[in-house]
Amino acid sequence: MLGLYIHIPFCASICNYCNFNRGLFEAGLKDRYVAALEREIRAAATGEAVDSLFFGGGTPSLLEPGEIGRIVAACRDSFAVSSHPEITLETNPETSSSKRMEGFAAAGVNRVSFGVQSFRDSELLRLGRIHSADRARQAVAESRGAGFDNISLDLMMWLPGQSRDDWRESVEGLIDVAPEHASLYLLEIYPNAPLKEDMARAGWSLAPEDDAAEMYSWSLDRLDRAGYEQYEISNVARPQRESRHNLKYWTDGEWLGFGSGAHSTRGPARWKNIAGTEEYIARVSCGAPLAVERRDRTPIERLEEALFTGLRLASGIDAGRVGARYGVDVWDRYGPELQPFVDEGFLLREGARLRLSRPGMLVANEIMRVFV
Amino acid sequence: MDQRFIRNFAVIAHIDHGKSTLADRFLEMTGALQPREMEAQVLDSMDLERERGITIKAHAVRLTYRADDGREYVLNLIDTPGHVDFSYEVTRSLAACEGALLLVDASQGVEAQTLANAYLAVDNGLEIIPVVNKIDLPGAQPDEAKRQIEEIVGLDAAGAILASAKEGTGVHEILEAIVHRLPAPVGDPAAPLKALIFDSWYDAYRGVIILTRVIDGAIRAGMKVRLMAKGQEYEVDQVGVFSPKPVVATELGVGEVGFVFAGIKTVSDAQIGDTITEAARPAAEAFPGFKVSKPMVFAGLYPVEGSEYPELRDALEKLRLNDASFFFEPETSAALGFGFRCGFLGLLHMEIVQERLEREFGMDLVTTAPGVLYRVTKTDGTVEEIDSPSKLPDTGRIATIEEPVITAMMLTPAEHVGAILKLCQEKRGVQKSIEYLAADRVLVTYELPFNEVVMDFYDRLKTLSRGYASLDYHVTGYQDAPLVKLDILVNEEPVDALSVIVHRDTAYQRGRALASKMRELIPRQMFEVAIQAAIGSRIIARESVKALRKNVLAKCYGGDISRKRKLLEKQKEGKKRMKRVGRVEIPQEAFLAVLKVGTET
Repeated sequence: MLGLYIHIPFCASICNYCNFNRGLFEAGLKDRYVAALEREIRAAATGEAVDSLFFGGGTPSLLEPGEIGRIVAACRDSFAVSSHPEITLETNPETSSSKRMEGFAAAGVNRVSFGVQSFRDSELLRLGRIHSADRARQAVAESRGAGFDNISLDLMMWLPGQSRDDWRESVEGLIDVAPEHASLYLLEIYPNAPLKEDMARAGWSLAPEDDAAEMYSWSLDRLDRAGYEQYEISNVARPQRESRHNLKYWTDGEWLGFGSGAHSTRGPARWKNIAGTEEYIARVSCGAPLAVERRDRTPIERLEEALFTGLRLASGIDAGRVGARYGVDVWDRYGPELQPFVDEGFLLREGARLRLSRPGMLVANEIMRVFV
Repeated sequence: MDQRFIRNFAVIAHIDHGKSTLADRFLEMTGALQPREMEAQVLDSMDLERERGITIKAHAVRLTYRADDGREYVLNLIDTPGHVDFSYEVTRSLAACEGALLLVDASQGVEAQTLANAYLAVDNGLEIIPVVNKIDLPGAQPDEAKRQIEEIVGLDAAGAILASAKEGTGVHEILEAIVHRLPAPVGDPAAPLKALIFDSWYDAYRGVIILTRVIDGAIRAGMKVRLMAKGQEYEVDQVGVFSPKPVVATELGVGEVGFVFAGIKTVSDAQIGDTITEAARPAAEAFPGFKVSKPMVFAGLYPVEGSEYPELRDALEKLRLNDASFFFEPETSAALGFGFRCGFLGLLHMEIVQERLEREFGMDLVTTAPGVLYRVTKTDGTVEEIDSPSKLPDTGRIATIEEPVITAMMLTPAEHVGAILKLCQEKRGVQKSIEYLAADRVLVTYELPFNEVVMDFYDRLKTLSRGYASLDYHVTGYQDAPLVKLDILVNEEPVDALSVIVHRDTAYQRGRALASKMRELIPRQMFEVAIQAAIGSRIIARESVKALRKNVLAKCYGGDISRKRKLLEKQKEGKKRMKRVGRVEIPQEAFLAVLKVGTET
């Protein structure tokens, strides 16, 4: 079924490592943006079945509950949203309060994803985050109080100056607050990140890559023991609590993205909305096309992408089924290049199913490259 | 054409001292080209030349100049390559002239190349007119430049012309000086034809185009001619001059300079320095000084994609049509597959060939470290010339190895002399002389093993003198040397393309430095990679590249799969540029790292 992604490109402050499409919050701009979003969604109405909404950003929780409610309503009016949809709101702990969380719940949100990143205040400070570990714990408690039973936390590992013990502390902190879902991201420092300058100035350095590998492996083992199941390279969840929306990205699914810079995938096409917020609003208001960077994929490109995204899942891919969908025998086509990875234990071949082992997940790009 | 009104001249200048700009001014002022027709610096016709500021092929342009005395003169400007790699071509171009302009930058002064070429011109009996150029620049010191011309080059600079080719100052005086101070060609119009080939190149439509200077007699279309070096005969299709556009003429007479088409298929049949004579009435002897240019620097060229071997062969054959001094033969490397051992006049020549292959023919190449031609006397008394480390016989069968030696002239500001002497000592040099030519200009002359210079000498000379020292060299002979072959093994397998021939005394250091450089350059792979340096069966250094532990994109940016795809494609592209040796992917830089790894670490 179709998923809907709604992008909110505003933040209360800018984090030094973030490369997403976002800018500083400004009330007037936000009002015009929300109006444009509603208009874009209504203009795209097809009445198709939809089973997930995802508010990403930026910081979508900077919107008022009423505004979230209006956007959800626009979606419901324009698509056949199922009776039990997954509606996720990415939330930053500093924007959360009991009252707001109750408001979001009333607006239809039934899953919150907190950008906690770390349970160590010194690390949060280094990342330019404006919340503390205690605020994060309170935010989870407030959400529980507001009735949320599907909470996800994001943590980042391999931060500058982070030791393996520091990382363990954050993982234990996460287990203590017992979310239903967690995402564990290895820090990626993009080329012009201000974090780079901060690091140079303060003399923080990244641990060797071997440490990153050990942090990753250790935390997944620890979360296994705490009753979580890894279902994707960077994601774990309690049974039945995988993110329905994010799974569409890894299972050759379809989604429509609304808002500036939002990505969409529909059949063979992938496209992206214009990224500038003002430009986006201007185009919506005059009905000009929003899509830029449209790519119509050949069947082989679709196959390749289904394979490399599918390999991100812990359960891997059913090569037989994916191949059949695009009329290709996957093993005939890629087997000779994949076999060395099978021999080394990075890739597991179980009947028609291909999946990465945990060491394989850490070097996933090496294997996925075979498919492009 | 009355030879009294012909002047043949060359311009001797260091790169960037303004030769091309001056040539442009000549073309404008003699009306050869209207200003609107001028593309800046028309003489350097190849893109590559324009970009590098180097004239690779000589050209000749005929200018018609009405002098202040009211008479019309034909001035043939013969362009010369400026780099030491092409010193033989320079001598042939100079041999076609009666005089030369010595162009010196008013702020830079005399450079080693200028000096070397000025000496060549003097040796060829040319009349020289010193010109101090770029006097318009704020840093110009024309008096200092004149003093250097007197003290360093040893020419009387009293008559030196001060000019700014850029602004056109002094250009008229230069033209007048050419007319009045340079001699007219001497030669016998009635004698049998004798014409010097000073350049030739291949044109896809016309075959080989010869540039020639008629010494005696005349050459005309329809004439049956003989090229004296090989004795082959051809019928002349057409003769003419470049003005600078080609203009067909009925004949080229004594002292004239122009082109000849004679249906010749490759430049190796019309080599620079050869003499054209009439088949029916040949000259008694050829113009002196012809020699077949011999490659001195050798390297392996391999296609990155093994399947592109035939394309590489075709490209090399096409280049060879146009460049008789360039040599290649098939070579097989266990590491790199099928490729070619190529010989070049020098390092610049090698770079030019490489760039043309990449740019004009779209080849993706791996180049092995350049080496020189060694002479090996084997225990059975036979002598072999070795152009590749892999051809070196087993130690047991070698009696002696000789290496080529060069005489290197380095001209430098005094403050860098110490550092240059240190570099030359490190490179096993033998000092010949240190001359203070002027207060701040020192000429350092050394005898150096050529292979040490091929390694990284020039780059380091430039670095340690902050770009101020200049170098000129020529090969003077061979000397015995205790040389050994240093091998690099990757995961126990010797990588033949990484082998180098080095002096025994520096082999250990170089081996260690090279192994450690390989560790830096070889990226982490899915398994541990062992790197060893060895002399014969003796391992002298070892390093290892630990297995790759992490290469994963953590986050999906709001469903942005295209970004993921781009990243994977980029990584794949990076891999493609590597060579697979056994299971190990080795980046191309590794094959040239041998050069960068000195003994100074």
